[in-house]
Amino acid sequence: MNEALIQTQNLEFAYDFEESNIPVLKGIDLQIKAGEFIALLGHNGSGKSTLAKHFNALLLPSGGKAFVLGMDTSNEALTYEIRRRVGMVFQNPDNQLVATIVEEDVAFGPENLGIPSNEIRQRVDEALKTVGMYDYREHAPHKLSGGQKQRVAIAGVIAMQPQCIVFDEPTAMLDPSGREEVIETILRLKNDLGIATVLITHYMDEAALADRVIVMDKGEILLDGTPAEVFAKGQQLRMHNLDVPESVEIAEFARHMGIPVPMDALSPSTCAQAIFKAWSSREESEKARAYLRYKEELSANLINSEAEPASSGSVIKIKELSYTYGGGTPFEKLAINNINLSINKGEFIGIIGHTGSGKTTLVQHLNGLIRPQQGSVLLNGTDIWAKPKKIRQVRYQVGLVFQYPEYQLFEETVYKDIAYGLKRMGVDKHDISMRVREAANFAGLDLNLLEKSPFDLSGGEKRRAAIAGVIAMRPAVLVLDEPSAGLDPKGRRELMNQIQSYRRRSGTTVLMVSHSMEEIARFADRVLVMNKGEIAMQGTVSQVFGHSHELVQMGLKVPELTQIFDSLSGRGVPVSSSVYTLNQAITEMERLFAGGAGNA
Amino acid sequence: MLKDITIGQFFPGKSFIHKMDPRMKIILMFGLIVFVFMAGNAISMGVVLLSTVLILLITRVPFKLYFKGLKAIWMIIILTSLLNMFYIKGTVIFEWKFISITWEGVRQSIFITLRIVCMILISSVLTYTSSPTALTDAIERLLAPFKLVGLKVHELAMMMTIALRFIPTLIEEVEKIMNAQKARGADMDSGRLTERIKAMIPVFIPLFVSSIRRAVELAAAMECRCYTGGKGRTRMKVLRYKFRDFFAFTVIAALCAGILYINFRFPEWKMTV
Repeated sequence: MNEALIQTQNLEFAYDFEESNIPVLKGIDLQIKAGEFIALLGHNGSGKSTLAKHFNALLLPSGGKAFVLGMDTSNEALTYEIRRRVGMVFQNPDNQLVATIVEEDVAFGPENLGIPSNEIRQRVDEALKTVGMYDYREHAPHKLSGGQKQRVAIAGVIAMQPQCIVFDEPTAMLDPSGREEVIETILRLKNDLGIATVLITHYMDEAALADRVIVMDKGEILLDGTPAEVFAKGQQLRMHNLDVPESVEIAEFARHMGIPVPMDALSPSTCAQAIFKAWSSREESEKARAYLRYKEELSANLINSEAEPASSGSVIKIKELSYTYGGGTPFEKLAINNINLSINKGEFIGIIGHTGSGKTTLVQHLNGLIRPQQGSVLLNGTDIWAKPKKIRQVRYQVGLVFQYPEYQLFEETVYKDIAYGLKRMGVDKHDISMRVREAANFAGLDLNLLEKSPFDLSGGEKRRAAIAGVIAMRPAVLVLDEPSAGLDPKGRRELMNQIQSYRRRSGTTVLMVSHSMEEIARFADRVLVMNKGEIAMQGTVSQVFGHSHELVQMGLKVPELTQIFDSLSGRGVPVSSSVYTLNQAITEMERLFAGGAGNA
Repeated sequence: MLKDITIGQFFPGKSFIHKMDPRMKIILMFGLIVFVFMAGNAISMGVVLLSTVLILLITRVPFKLYFKGLKAIWMIIILTSLLNMFYIKGTVIFEWKFISITWEGVRQSIFITLRIVCMILISSVLTYTSSPTALTDAIERLLAPFKLVGLKVHELAMMMTIALRFIPTLIEEVEKIMNAQKARGADMDSGRLTERIKAMIPVFIPLFVSSIRRAVELAAAMECRCYTGGKGRTRMKVLRYKFRDFFAFTVIAALCAGILYINFRFPEWKMTV
């Protein structure tokens, strides 16, 4: 028992809710060793957060025991001895920083421990250097980016010199570059400081970096092993509404074809390496034939792509649109610059770009939340600002769903909340009732929930209710800003399918801002890439993803499959460099290794 | 953008005044303001003005920022000076119907204006040169004696810190929620006052709910970082009076003595009633 940093014995936990007892953890036996990096997976409600909160006595077991370095967490005299050894970093970067200056915030923990001033200074400086935020030590936290805030939060925990840090979905609210910053920092903790880490995440590529992956389901441990062992059970994971990294999926398929991809090839680079090795060891004649097949495919595709569907006329036209924030002050910032864009009826446009690239400013122009400083926005051929008093009419036609829309719910019942916009529009009572139901249906919201308080719904249901509130207005164009942010893989998938089916059934034009390239790849007809306030690239998904180097330079992250095939194509393997779905990848693999890969 | 609002208006710098102990700054600020109001004499007011400008120069905070602070209160300045101008009896220099302006009134309002301006400038020196954290820290320590009578000084300071930390976050959130409701057709910019207040309900309820959520999460985060209240807590930055603080104290004390002396020595320059 001495070697275990954290140990649970038949740990049980139940929430008392309205006199009923809801079991969340059902007898967990677990050991975490010093210096281990564990990824804790599971869909929302699987009990992973609840389990993690037992590691530092934030929750106390209702049955069984939890020990930290041999200390029983239920012994209240030891609570703070335990918490100084097991720190915790939470999901929302804003809600865990206490002080108004970065270094003061990092000092907060050590100050609470009663450490002498000189030593606090030392620890704070070291911690800030470890997370790479030393240069920001005198900044105000609210001016930092999400990734930077999370790194400050991590520094705040490091300064307490813990032996383990629990991360509760630390990247869920961050953009790809913020995620990368945080994950790099977490890896450094393990490698440089030897701190054990428990990372709760929905991102499988993050889990693939861990030493050990634990999968939870319904309050029990479903799988526990190295990433290779766990991801090898792809079918089981999918059954429990979890994903497998794309690299693992294609590796699985490759092994199926007889290509020896090692089980621990979990990242795009190792996977690409293995496929490349198999390719290089092929006979020259086989290679030549593969080249030929690739060329044939290429010319066939070129002919196909010329026959693009005729566009059915534009709904929105943007002409020479520019906007500067804080003009004339030292904070002046050009948000968007000379944007020209035509959005066609019924199109599904995906907008990508890193935080601060101007995406949100652009979409807020579409429904007149921001008035253009230069240029104009035309809706069905008329300038939306032709009659400024009628701008609300435009907002009914161009529905805008903000990021985390559930935070705008306010009515007593879900029904009333969805009806809010309709009432503003002056729709009569009978129609309101019909349209609320229709919208709930479109958003995939159970009609039984309509009479409930929106605050009693689950996270995913709240989001659907908020989206329904916009859909109810029957907008001609629906703009969604990061609709799936912060949901678990199952929630994401369901919501995206719902949006797709809504679009098919209603013929609505959809614009979706997203950081998830996988989602954009799957659904968008056309992709816009924003960078530094301009449209840096636009085209079909394959056209845009064919430029993965440029995308990466703009701070974006391309799907793992694209990374693999781009890397292969870069090394002279005759495959397309713009692969972005598993089906495409499989087609490429089959063509590449046609006639069997047996000789490898 | 609302995001760029700075609370407490701290302007980081390395000037003599920036480096002073915030406790001493608070004490001296109060002292100076008292003496600004004692300068009822043209010469002493001159001295006060001169020293105020000198202090502003030492801070090396751009004058533009100080004027911005003044802009916010120009209404008050105009109002009080007008009142003084019209109501003070004395030698009439202008008369029209029921309005009469006296020489004494004009003098009085000039003095009042100068006093208010100096007061605002001196207090901005405090807020521009000390971080909100330093200020709350200083207040916590200056109030420490009141712990004896049961005042929860540490808790008070903690509340101030958290408020300062979250005000910008909440302002940003208000902006977001307002935009979201506007996108659903909310009309917040027109209509009568009662209608406008009603239109704010969809903003305030979500704001309230999210503030509570934030509070719960913050409390958990603070507990994880072993916060148990003020007891047994140390501080990274220990406040210690240094030579510069005593030096500043001496200078300001001399200045105050000077003002008193001038008032006493040159009574013929007294300009206020």
